Amino acid sequence: MRKIIELKNVSKSFDGQKVLDNVSLDIYDNEFLTLLGPSGCGKTTTLRIIAGFETPDAGSLFFLGEDIASLPPHRRSVNTVFQRYALFPHLNVFENIAFPLRVKKLPQDEIREKVSEMLRLVALTGFERRSVSSLSGGQQQRVAIARALVSRPKVLLLDEPLAALDLKLRKDMQQELKAIQKATGVTFVFVTHDQEEALSMSDTVVVMSEGKIQQIGTPIDIYNEPRNAFVADFIGESNILSGVMLRDRLVRFSGRDFDCVDFGFDPNEPVDVVVRPEDVDIVPAESGQLRGTVTSVTFLGVYYEIIVDIDGFKWMIQTTDFVDVDEHIGLKIDPDAIHIMDKSEYSGMFGDYSSFSEEYDELSQAESGAEA
Amino acid sequence: MKPAAKVYTALIMLFLFAPIAILLVFSFNSAKSLSVMQGFSLYWYRELFRDAETLSTVRNTLILALAASAVSTVMGTAAAVGIFRLRSRALRAACDTVTNIPMINPDIITGISLMLMFVFVGRLFGAATSLNFWTMLIAHITFCLPYVILQVLPKLQQMDSSLPEAAMDLGCTPFRAFLKVEIPEIMPGIVTGAIMAFTLSLDDFVISYFTAGNGFQTLPIRIYNMTKKTVTPKMYALSTIIFFTILALLIMTNLIDTGPGVERRSRRTDDGAAAPAPEAPSGQRSRGHIAALIGAVLAVFIIGIIIVGRPKKPVLNVYNWGEYISDGSEDSFDAIQGFEDWYLENYGHEVELNYTTFASNEDMYAKISSGAVSYDVIVPSDYMVARMRSEGLLLPLDYENIPNAANIGESFRGLYYDPDDAYSVPYTFNFTGIIYDANQVDEADTGDWELLWNPKYRGRLLQFNNSRDAFGTAQFRLGLDVNSEDPASWRAALDALKQQQPLIKSYVMDEVYNMMESGEAAACVYYAGDYFIMADAQAPGVDLRFYAPEPTNYFVDAFCIPTCCQNKELAEAFINYMLEYEPAVANAEYICYGCPNRLVYEDETYADDMGEDAMAILYPGLDAFHERYEQTAFRNLPPDVLNMINSLWEELKIN
Repeated sequence: MRKIIELKNVSKSFDGQKVLDNVSLDIYDNEFLTLLGPSGCGKTTTLRIIAGFETPDAGSLFFLGEDIASLPPHRRSVNTVFQRYALFPHLNVFENIAFPLRVKKLPQDEIREKVSEMLRLVALTGFERRSVSSLSGGQQQRVAIARALVSRPKVLLLDEPLAALDLKLRKDMQQELKAIQKATGVTFVFVTHDQEEALSMSDTVVVMSEGKIQQIGTPIDIYNEPRNAFVADFIGESNILSGVMLRDRLVRFSGRDFDCVDFGFDPNEPVDVVVRPEDVDIVPAESGQLRGTVTSVTFLGVYYEIIVDIDGFKWMIQTTDFVDVDEHIGLKIDPDAIHIMDKSEYSGMFGDYSSFSEEYDELSQAESGAEA
Repeated sequence: MKPAAKVYTALIMLFLFAPIAILLVFSFNSAKSLSVMQGFSLYWYRELFRDAETLSTVRNTLILALAASAVSTVMGTAAAVGIFRLRSRALRAACDTVTNIPMINPDIITGISLMLMFVFVGRLFGAATSLNFWTMLIAHITFCLPYVILQVLPKLQQMDSSLPEAAMDLGCTPFRAFLKVEIPEIMPGIVTGAIMAFTLSLDDFVISYFTAGNGFQTLPIRIYNMTKKTVTPKMYALSTIIFFTILALLIMTNLIDTGPGVERRSRRTDDGAAAPAPEAPSGQRSRGHIAALIGAVLAVFIIGIIIVGRPKKPVLNVYNWGEYISDGSEDSFDAIQGFEDWYLENYGHEVELNYTTFASNEDMYAKISSGAVSYDVIVPSDYMVARMRSEGLLLPLDYENIPNAANIGESFRGLYYDPDDAYSVPYTFNFTGIIYDANQVDEADTGDWELLWNPKYRGRLLQFNNSRDAFGTAQFRLGLDVNSEDPASWRAALDALKQQQPLIKSYVMDEVYNMMESGEAAACVYYAGDYFIMADAQAPGVDLRFYAPEPTNYFVDAFCIPTCCQNKELAEAFINYMLEYEPAVANAEYICYGCPNRLVYEDETYADDMGEDAMAILYPGLDAFHERYEQTAFRNLPPDVLNMINSLWEELKIN
């Protein structure tokens, strides 16, 4: 695979606050790459550096091997789909899509041909003369994509393009975007804070936090093999416990030894242990590896989400079996459900659901807040 | 609304709009009175558009407002963009405050300070007068600028900041992105700012008053100056027009402001339907159309005023005898064009000479005394000068403006019709004589008036077709006084004319040329100068000769300024010009009459051009002119005598 964009040790600060800290990233041809992270993690800044709206304080940016860090946006062959689409209100649908072609002064015939091809791609044929203000959000989104793709950029940058859409439409657009990416073969760099979106669409997910890249990998890798507590918590739900690796394939946490499949750690090395809520089986108290009391049960349609207090640590468990609050239950964890991680700066910060409801509030605030 | 609230609202409305309603009503009043409404009339509107001076101040005001709003819109927009892009928040806030100061600052302080600055800078560069159109324009731009910034800045702040980024992302340079995306986006603010600047400049009085130069007056200043005397209802009409102009601008601004921009934000929905939704609501579109329509109507109106009100060249109306000025025909000097050129050269601005002609003193008199016309310079004959002077139809001349009057020969000063030369400057002098065809008339029959009564030439004699001259021939023949007030004397002359009538081929004025030149007639009585013109054009086999019988009528035609004159100084400049060497010689050579201008009759070139014989006929001893003139010149007669002459003349002509 050909490397299209390469960020090398890129750093960027705003008003003395470090937004990007020594970020290095390779983006390959034909790839659907997602920058994932909470607001303030630096994902949008990364995107704007690639687009040329920001210049890095340090480090370099290569486009097909050529350093473009100081090239102005209009000289880069990347295009952007903005979070709020940034359609030109004084132009109609046709003229919005034709805009980059007119800037290049292409002949009218060619413009018409390319615009109608784009309108076909985004299923908006017949909307040429419409004013963009009369379109729905989803339609505006498609016009923005068509406009960004019409001049055949090597890379398309998408800045939380689905954030303004409602859930149902967002799901449809995810599929559509993926289809468009496949049809055009253009490299997509997609920014989102929605981990589900990232997992479902991407070839590669880049998890970012506090201006640093935490992990780069396929969605399955990221989910199954999170590198640290931050990734484990941010991608899906996780019970993260502090433990000790007694020896290869044997770990001790919650006051008990568990068999596991991980190895290669130093004997008695302190580690973080991840157990996904869906990987915990509920058994009668007496036959459980761990025992605790149910503190809350939430019905979520397909499954119940229950919180179990085990010696003061609150576990989240997703199960289709019904249990009642205050019921005393046992938990059983298979060796392959246990994932062992190195200790990191995030150890101890995530993975305990004691303050679940509050954390949930914080999360929803972060989602609705605009990305810096 | 409760009834009390309704009444209250109505009162407020009344309070706000009563003055304008009264203004509007009285602008249509047919009377001048402010207290009585006499009936509907557009009289004052018509008067307004006839008032060239007011129109020209309206024009000044509009030009100033257009220039000030155009410049301040461009500058203000640029300033707003600059402020918007300032990185530092503190600096931005400071700029905001600073631009607001001129708006809050009392006009009088702005006005005085601007005036001080202009005078100071003017002195610095040694200018004598530092206030002019340009200082006023600068002043207007100064106070318009903050309002434009105030309109444009919020539009920039409302604009989605990713729009210019999107444009650059799609290949625009930053400047191009500004032109193609930001400008259209903030256009409502720019237009509103421009309209505000225009209206502010239009009605500014205080600042204009302090910064206006003496050559450039705006409407508010003119109206203010009028209030010292009386404000004519013309001004009500004008104020009404201005009120509706501003109202139209206001409506336009509102239509623009609540236009597409606001609609757009509220209409964003996430229905995601793939089927085309209906077109944008037509209300939004038609509002734009109405705004554009109002703008177009106003633009036409403003351009119209600017064209109509443009200062016209002053026009000088000269009313003269036909063929009585060297007009450039047959390679002669063009005295009309000459005057326009001379005036531009000496007075620094253009003038248009409107030259019209009359056929007789009586025609001219009838026109002038009717009061329906306005001429600046007329050229009546002596007796008519006396008559018009006595009737108060002439203005005394200001010789300060006619220094060339010194060129008039001594013999031609203080003639009876204007003893003090207060009202007239002589243009030509001449006398009547007899012209005959030597091939038809025996030399022996010539020498006195008898030729015209000689039955030998029955049917080949021509007589004047004007009463005074025709009677004169008979009176001179009979030795009667041409200025007699005795009806019997005139009756005797009539008898002589009646006796002559069977011999007369025709009573003529201008037709005399053809008849004499072709040899159709044998002899005629006419003005000496015209003999040369006939002799020049005589047909082969015709040999025209001239003699002056004794006594004969001498006459003078003189420049006068009638009381209907619109531009006396210009009229005097014209008279002065006609006494200059070049036009005076050209006219004398063209008309072939005697010229009372020393520069002419003492000039050798002129004498050579005219020839010895002609000089002898035209200037037969100038020393004796005064005496001879006083004896034989036609005097103005009392109206009853004139009436009698008229009826006697008609009696003759009826036969």
